[in-house]
Amino acid sequence: MHELAIAQSIVEAVEDKAAECNAARVKGVRLQIGEASGVVTDSLTFCFEMLASLDPILEGAQLFIDTLPHRAYCRHCASEFRIKNFVAQCPACKEWTNEIVSGTEMQVVEMEFE
Amino acid sequence: MPKITIAQNILAANDTIAQDIQQLLTSREIRTINLMSSPGAGKTTLLERTIELLRGKLDIGVIEGDIETGTDAERIEAAGAETVQINTRGACHLEAHMIRDALAEINLAKIRLLFVENIGNLVCPASWKLGEDIRIVMASTTEGDEKPAKYPQMFAVSQVMIVNKIDLLPYVDYEIEKVRKQALEINPNLRIFEVSCRTGEGLDAWCEWLIAFAYGKTYERLVVSE
Repeated sequence: MHELAIAQSIVEAVEDKAAECNAARVKGVRLQIGEASGVVTDSLTFCFEMLASLDPILEGAQLFIDTLPHRAYCRHCASEFRIKNFVAQCPACKEWTNEIVSGTEMQVVEMEFE
Repeated sequence: MPKITIAQNILAANDTIAQDIQQLLTSREIRTINLMSSPGAGKTTLLERTIELLRGKLDIGVIEGDIETGTDAERIEAAGAETVQINTRGACHLEAHMIRDALAEINLAKIRLLFVENIGNLVCPASWKLGEDIRIVMASTTEGDEKPAKYPQMFAVSQVMIVNKIDLLPYVDYEIEKVRKQALEINPNLRIFEVSCRTGEGLDAWCEWLIAFAYGKTYERLVVSE
């Protein structure tokens, strides 16, 4: 249920940028959401559309979400791998020492406006 | 149609406040813990016991987060710690601005360690930084023994896991070995304490660790991972 608070933060960031650009209407907003960020993208889209419909500048704006995989770099064998279900074991060498490369993002990337 | 790059963390506004809080508390030499669990795991009871056991050894302050009521703050205050209650009126997690406001009501000169007891919830609190040095997740033997696997993000972002109610192990279907294994698969660096706040078992080791943490000895090894 925290998707509503996240959608609110997106709307605020976009409103600030729209004011900065003298935008009359925001038509689209692009996000990067990591698959390990705890965000449910369907719920986020629903909450965003609801908030946008109440906002004269954002009304009808579309949300585009790029989902980034949860990936890690293994410090032991120097390979990169996809983390499944948060279990951070290297499939190649079975070691547990690694750094997260992607998957925890929650970014507003860009917006389209007129 | 023109496009413009924003490239901003969605929770940037929250993170900025969290950073300010961490700076303020660090400058006052106060260590801060964000304590999270599902409802009923025993967060408030752990704090009560900890405050009692460390009376005279470590000055503790508590920010109590609850959706409604001030009963937890009353319990903590009765145990003898500086306390502020936050009621979120429905919100499922604490946010940094709530902590900033609550800090204005705490006498920081009186404390060395600050606990923020988050809303009982294993999902949402994982995403909001509150200015803490470390995060602790609490589980208990009366819950299912698949909590780490079912709520992995919470265990991935924490540095310490406490399993409470171990006095009930003979009576519940809770395989503690399974919980340890799951939690360490998600987060191999997780420090684990197994305690019973009811009997006091395991609390000595926890309190000893807490004193070392509060006075900086274990701090370097436990920086919150991004």
